[in-house]
Amino acid sequence: MDRGLFISMTGAKQIMQAQAVNNNNIANASTTGFRADTVSFASQPIYGPGYATRVNAVAQDNGVDFSEGALQSTGSSLDIAVNGPGFIAVQGADGQEAYTRAGALKITDSGAVTTTSGQAVLSDSGPVQVPPASSITIGSDGTISVVPLGLAAAAQSQVDRIKLVNPSIKTLKKGADGLFYLAAGGKSPTDETVHVSSGTLETSNVNAAKSLVNMIELQRMYEFQIKSMNSTDTNEQSAERMMLTS
Amino acid sequence: MNVALWAAKTGLDAQNTQMAVIANNLANSNTTGFKADRAMFQDLMYQNVNQVGSQSTQNTQNATGLSLGTGVRIAATEKSYLQGSMLQTGGSLDLAVSGNGLFQITMPDGTLAYTRDGSFTLDAQGNMVTASGYPLSPAITIPITAQSVTVGADGTVTTTTAGTSKTTTIGQIQLANFVNLQGLMPIGGNLLTESASSGSPQVGAPGTNGFGTLSQGSLETSNVNTVTELVNMITCQRAYEMNSKAISTTDQMLQYLTQNLS
Repeated sequence: MDRGLFISMTGAKQIMQAQAVNNNNIANASTTGFRADTVSFASQPIYGPGYATRVNAVAQDNGVDFSEGALQSTGSSLDIAVNGPGFIAVQGADGQEAYTRAGALKITDSGAVTTTSGQAVLSDSGPVQVPPASSITIGSDGTISVVPLGLAAAAQSQVDRIKLVNPSIKTLKKGADGLFYLAAGGKSPTDETVHVSSGTLETSNVNAAKSLVNMIELQRMYEFQIKSMNSTDTNEQSAERMMLTS
Repeated sequence: MNVALWAAKTGLDAQNTQMAVIANNLANSNTTGFKADRAMFQDLMYQNVNQVGSQSTQNTQNATGLSLGTGVRIAATEKSYLQGSMLQTGGSLDLAVSGNGLFQITMPDGTLAYTRDGSFTLDAQGNMVTASGYPLSPAITIPITAQSVTVGADGTVTTTTAGTSKTTTIGQIQLANFVNLQGLMPIGGNLLTESASSGSPQVGAPGTNGFGTLSQGSLETSNVNTVTELVNMITCQRAYEMNSKAISTTDQMLQYLTQNLS
């Protein structure tokens, strides 16, 4: 049996996975602060007796496209978008510090500030808490000031500051929950140069045109692989026929 | 099952839901006191195909890994509590809240509901009621002899009676506010009810303690921005088409496979 068939199979399998990554990007074209995934493949020669002519395709680590999305004005004081590089620190599912660009915040009945998916937003000293307030303002450095409920506007006070970080994107990985974590674990320090703008949200950075072209390319590449499997099959059949006639 | 197909399918689902939200906003662009909803998208869990950094032997780690995203979902719909614009109607029982606060309405089952819709009328007993006939809480009863009704910015309701120059104060309208307005549950009929995540209501007189003031003779219009909604509709439609294209492409790939390898 020609191992070429299996080589094509690894190619087809990986391309289908790449298509899944691409489709996931397209599905998230409207997700606030979403960062597109990229996938890369590596050649994996098969070493053994004889010359290593057979090279499998294996999926490499997938990367993340950290380019910025467009800013969308919403007017809501609890919507923040990070200007330029940087992230908002939130508490991941296992209590670890995680980072996100999705700044659609809300306040729970107990006064905790969370993201849409319910992760607590962090300050330098733990989850951000705000008192019941009639108005909330988030400053460009993440400072939250409130007018407590039942008090006049003059009673405005600063309550906490959202932790904004700017770790090197090389040190980040995307977790299974779509949040970013430091690959080596631990926490990133607060970065004073990161600024947010209130009343705006950052859109997904998925490029529709790029994703569609990518989709077509992957489809054709997939067809090449199938074609190649087909040819291998035809070769086998020819060889078989030759054996029979001789 | 093929992740590529399902990821695109979740995209179709989510865009479809967003379209429903947009359509509802547009349908309510003339509803008094309506607050626009928006759909919040969230990416689904990632599936680890190859775990990066897993041990390939006792001393070495896999340098490569792959995780596939499984699509998107609508995590929540949130109401925007931005102020709508003021429409002058001149009606003496048309009230608008300028600033924070919701009118309290007594439901038929005795519980309270909340609304920004201040287009009140009178029932047969002279109670101030909503268009659906639910009374304002605390109840304000206008005597039948009243010639004119005045509602002050602080919610004080006074009436004048024919033949006298004296005004009579008959009550004060109270407003309610919540820690998490987004947590209120819309029940239709321009009404919202308290939920576990909204917190309990803080009641106060208009104009005090951070509550907005009332303005008589005006109504708060819907805060739906039709231009925003139309732009959202276009992006939603295109995203829907892209997801549909992703499904058909994946389908064609599988079709090619089954047709050419048999």
